[in-house]
Amino acid sequence: MEDFEPKILVFACNWCSYAGADLAGTSRLQYAPNVRIVRVMCSGMVNPAMILYAFRKGFDGVVVAGCHPGDCHYNVGNYYAKKRIVLLKEMLDFIGFESDRLKLLWASAAEGKKFAEEMTNFTERIRKLGPQTKFRG
Amino acid sequence: MDTETEKIVRNRVAELLNEDVEAFVVFVRKETEPRERITVIKGPEEAEKVALSPLSVNNTARVLLEVVNNFDGKVGVVAKGCDSKAIKGLISEGKIEREKIHIIGISCPGIVDYRKLIAFSPEDVIFEDGKLIIKPGDKEIPLEEVIHDNCRYCRSPSPVIYDEIYGKAREPFDGTDDDEIEKLPADERWKYWIDVFEKCIRCYACRSACPMCYCTECLVDPVNLAISPMSTAEEKAAYPRFLGKTVTPADNLFYHLIRVFHHAGRCADCGECERACPMDIPLRKLERKLQKEIKEIFGYEDEDIPFLAKLDIIPEGR
Repeated sequence: MEDFEPKILVFACNWCSYAGADLAGTSRLQYAPNVRIVRVMCSGMVNPAMILYAFRKGFDGVVVAGCHPGDCHYNVGNYYAKKRIVLLKEMLDFIGFESDRLKLLWASAAEGKKFAEEMTNFTERIRKLGPQTKFRG
Repeated sequence: MDTETEKIVRNRVAELLNEDVEAFVVFVRKETEPRERITVIKGPEEAEKVALSPLSVNNTARVLLEVVNNFDGKVGVVAKGCDSKAIKGLISEGKIEREKIHIIGISCPGIVDYRKLIAFSPEDVIFEDGKLIIKPGDKEIPLEEVIHDNCRYCRSPSPVIYDEIYGKAREPFDGTDDDEIEKLPADERWKYWIDVFEKCIRCYACRSACPMCYCTECLVDPVNLAISPMSTAEEKAAYPRFLGKTVTPADNLFYHLIRVFHHAGRCADCGECERACPMDIPLRKLERKLQKEIKEIFGYEDEDIPFLAKLDIIPEGR
């Protein structure tokens, strides 16, 4: 358990969060190297099946990062994302899976610092939860 | 759904088939055993076959959706409470035109679970004011004893959409579904669901029977896409393959979670998935939980706009 390094998948939206992550990088902010980022065009395109698939493939935590409410490049994509994630978390709780392993994050293109901090915090949280073995196939 | 209602419906079906209705989706009694199936009749002379009883278990919306476009004129349908909910959903999603169908609504006293009835090895069953009389032997059993579990949670025994309505409905279930599973600690919940879905053979009968599962391409269908170096990213992206052929409990749970998720706010509560399931898995528990959360978080219940198309602003902190 001591040498457990969590694997975390981040779906970052092209317009805000990915740019935020980019800013974190260009500002040379240190954040957990456990994070793998997948760029998606909008957080609203993240299908719940994609999140479960990530868990199935062995990721310990999944973050869906999108624009702040009202800032979506496609106007309402992030509202749909939130709707889905809120429901998915409830259902994951119901089946007994730790819903803390899934996180919805609003991060704008200017919030490189926030992105880096959130990633570090989330990694620590997952480290405490331990490896995800329930869905891993 | 006693013999009285059956007679009225039979007459009305014959009358309507003489008028402008071209075909009717109805229940008929099987000849070999006391069960009913759904069929499509096209002439008034066939109307005498029409049956209606608590054995009319299946959801007519599914058959209606399949046949409605084969006819130019109107198609009639006999619909119980849950069937009408499915039809309403299909209309609001643009799959069926309201003008093209004529709905005979049936207020439903609840339907029989055939798996419970079979214990009495019936050759024939007659229904009389809330009781079943089993032949041979004239044994009387109350409907409540063999009622489908799903009907106990029925919130709309009376049709929500209809052109004419007959019959007497049961008391709608009101109140929260206090599921004992929710009270268990997380690890035991997981164990419960893994035990349950260990049985699943992924025959996809739940998907085939569901009136709301009408996609021509399903997320879990195997796709035979040969990926070569020449395959474009678009091609590969159009055929994501989330689930393989493995039937591990976690994969089954994955499939059922996604299936339930696709019914968010659309489920007609007919319990067709549970009836179709050859392994007796309590699939409706997941649907009911999702429905409850949708009601609690979004306050959405049986509205005219499909749930997924509605834009909700959820307050921060959830």
